[in-house]
Amino acid sequence: MSQLQEFFKKITGHPVYVKWLKDAWPYITGAVLLSLFQIVTLATTGNPWGVSGAFANWGAWILEALGGSVDKWYYFASEGAQATLNAGFLNNPDSWRNVGIIVGALLAVLLASQFKIKKIKSFRQVIAAVLGGLLMGYGARIGFGCNIGALFSGIASLSLSGWVFAIFLFIGAIIGSKLLVKFFM
Amino acid sequence: MKEVILDCFGEACPVPLVKAQNKMKEMAVGDVLIVQIDHSCAMKNLPDWARGEGHNVEVEETSEGEWEVIIEKTK
Repeated sequence: MSQLQEFFKKITGHPVYVKWLKDAWPYITGAVLLSLFQIVTLATTGNPWGVSGAFANWGAWILEALGGSVDKWYYFASEGAQATLNAGFLNNPDSWRNVGIIVGALLAVLLASQFKIKKIKSFRQVIAAVLGGLLMGYGARIGFGCNIGALFSGIASLSLSGWVFAIFLFIGAIIGSKLLVKFFM
Repeated sequence: MKEVILDCFGEACPVPLVKAQNKMKEMAVGDVLIVQIDHSCAMKNLPDWARGEGHNVEVEETSEGEWEVIIEKTK
């Protein structure tokens, strides 16, 4: 066995590697970290954490890059929305954070050596993914927030809307689960 | 004693869990169900459910990002 292989074998068997990089962290660790980073986000950017709002901006920037304009769109009509769009991607903390989430998730899975490109099993999965994505994206913008911006940040801001969102999120999840069992089992 | 393999590669949660639950109903005490998964959250909810039911459970990493959850039906 080469020295490099021996080195990697030693590292991947080490309890520190197994505990911190290989095995999933307990839910409570995740909850505490999410709360801490929520506070950091509010303190540094002046806004609570949001995810899906930035994707709407990405869409607008892509459309603008292709020569379109969203100036007349009601969703982007406010001064704040226009200022965010004019400032651009590089000055948008939400966009940076979303990129960080994607890169961080990739890094975590690579460090645990669990990376795998998953097969698409059926055309039904494609339909469900596209439909689900469209419904979630549309709903998140109509509701001015997803399960992060509206639920987590809403409740963290002591807003009643976060709790209302939670109730209907559960109702939606129950209906979604029934549909899933009906069409995917 | 039978051994049943359930191919759940490419299936997202909670599909592997529900499929395993349905399969276990058809099996006899002493039979072994091997659920093949590549969705890491099934590595948590599948063993959690099976252990809660009192079955014997083992999880094996068979390849990068692939696992087998081995459940022995005990009752």
